[in-house]
Formats: sequence, C-alpha cells, structure tokens
Amino acid sequence: MSTLLVASSSAALLGRLTEGTTEGGKKTFQSPTKNDFDFPGLFSHNGWFTKPILIVILMTTLVAVFYVLASRNAKIVPSKLQFAGESVYGYIRNDVALDAIGHEGLRFAPYLATLFSFIAVNNIAGIIPILQIPSTSHIAFPLVLAILSWVIFLAIGIKKNGVFKYFKDMMFPPGIPIPVYLLLAPIEFFSTVIVRPLTLMLRLTFNMFAGHLVLLLFVSGGEYLLLHYSNHVVGIPVGILSFFMSLVLSLFEGGIQLLQAYVFTLLTALYIGGALADEH
Amino acid sequence: MAPGYVPDRERERAADRKAHNDAWAASGLLMSGVIVWGGAGYLVSQWLDNQLFVMLGLLLGTVTALYGIWFRYGRS
Repeated sequence: MSTLLVASSSAALLGRLTEGTTEGGKKTFQSPTKNDFDFPGLFSHNGWFTKPILIVILMTTLVAVFYVLASRNAKIVPSKLQFAGESVYGYIRNDVALDAIGHEGLRFAPYLATLFSFIAVNNIAGIIPILQIPSTSHIAFPLVLAILSWVIFLAIGIKKNGVFKYFKDMMFPPGIPIPVYLLLAPIEFFSTVIVRPLTLMLRLTFNMFAGHLVLLLFVSGGEYLLLHYSNHVVGIPVGILSFFMSLVLSLFEGGIQLLQAYVFTLLTALYIGGALADEH
Repeated sequence: MAPGYVPDRERERAADRKAHNDAWAASGLLMSGVIVWGGAGYLVSQWLDNQLFVMLGLLLGTVTALYGIWFRYGRS
C-alpha cells in the first residue's frame, strides 16, 4: 500500500502524463498536449492536492519566509539576505509603484512587491528541476490574481471619484460630439472593465503554458529520439541537440517568467495609477 | 516624501508614466472596438441572416476606436 502510494506520488510528481502508443513493436511519438498539465492527485488519484497546488503552497511559504527573514533584525549595514530582500522590494517600490502611480504609489508598494514575488517564484518553478511546472500555467491562479487587481483598481477609482463620476469619466470624456458617445461609450467601458482583467489573466497563463509546452516538446522529443530512434542515423545527434536546446530554452524561459511577473505587476500599477489620476 | 524618491525626476516620471499608460490603453481600446461592435454586428447578422453586418460592425468598431484614440491621445 505504501509502496503504491510512493509510486503513484512519484509518477504524479515526475511522470510524463501522455504516452505514445506502441505499434508493431515500435513506439510512436506523442507530442505534448494540454493533458500534460493535468496532474493526478498526490495522495489519491482524483484528489484535489496536485503538484501545482503543492508548488503554490511551497512558493508562498518561500516568499513569506524570505521576506520575514530579510526584514528581521534589519541593520544599517545589511546582511546578504536583507540586501536581497531590499533589492527586490526597492526595485518594485521605486521603479514600479512610484513610477507608474506617482507619489501615492508608496501605499501600494507592499501589495505590488508581494504580487511580483508570488508570480515570479511560481513562474520560475517551471524551470526548477523536479518542480518543473509553472503553477501559473493553470488558469485558476492568474484568474484569482487578475480578479484581485481588477477589484483593487475599480474600488480605488470608485472610492476616489464616486461611482457615477468614475464611470462618467471613463465612458464619456468631455468634448466629443454627442452621437459619437453612443458608439464610443460601450467600447471605453468594455476596454476598462472587461479587457483589462481578461488580458492580465490570459497573457500570464498562456505565456507560461506555451513556454512549458515548448520545453516539454524538446525534452520528450530528445528522449524519444535517443530511446526509440537510435538505430536511425539522425536519432542520436538530433536527440542530443534536442536536449541541448531544452537547456538553452530553459534559460530563455527563465527570462520570460521574470518578465511576465514584471508585466503583470506593472500593468496592475498602471491601472491603479489610472484610477487615481484626475481625468483631464 | 519617500526616501529614495527624487522630486526632480517627478516630471520625467510623469511623462514616462503617461506614455506607458497611453500605449496600453490605446491597444486595449482598439481591441474593444473590434470585439464590441464586431460582436454586435455578428449578432445582427445571425438575426437577419446576412453576413454583411459582421463587416459593418468590425469597420464601425475599428473606426470608432481609432477616433477615440485620436481624441484622447492624438491631439496635442
């Protein structure tokens, strides 16, 4: 029983989820599909506690512990950890919060720094050995983050201007001929209230999804070429090339993962800044 | 005022901020124009069984969005 549990757990952690079929003693190549993102439960096959959930819990703990340790016993001459924490926080505070929102941005710096750290580490999980799946490639996590950002910028705009004035400024900029309002107002409303959270969510999810799919393709392709195609002249060299490419692309992915965390944070800050700005 | 925040750079930062914001807002508006009026055109075309309305809707949405972008960001 316990062996079974360990075996199924390790399969749930590491195993490639879609397998090729065997035809006439030769295994066909199954390119990675979206099914490779559906992990079985770690403790029971249909359980809710899957690998992406485990990664989110691990990474949330990591971020919390990192910031607590970095800010505890803060000294004027910082320790290495304090320096690291202050670098990340300082960057988000000065270059995102204050740049995108203005002097009021200081209030939002803690939220933005948390958001950035959380997304960044969950993305980076995609290229950490054994973890190897960005939990943000599952749409639920970006969805919640996008809803959070959406609620925050709407709430700030409404709190600052009142419901009526906020939507009036958004939909009816003064000085446009009245018939045009009929055409323009729905577009303005749609672009602020619906397109913004939707693009936040989709941009993050599918950047991570596509990146993981590409890495999976090179790794599984390399494995297939080496194990099942080695009698052919191209099998071994192209298989090795494929593994090499997966390493190069892992570095590339790392860049994209940090960039996407930054973009999500920057856009949230810009939306908050827009809600706080006095229209015209 | 926050430490590390240099007031001299305020004007420069504000300009950066505006440019950033405008770029994202303009592309969002264009996309919304196509989706809202293109979508409305699609619904009308389903109703009246005439494909022409999709095209009219898409054109109307694009033109309106471009006008909105020009009105907000193009007159200086």
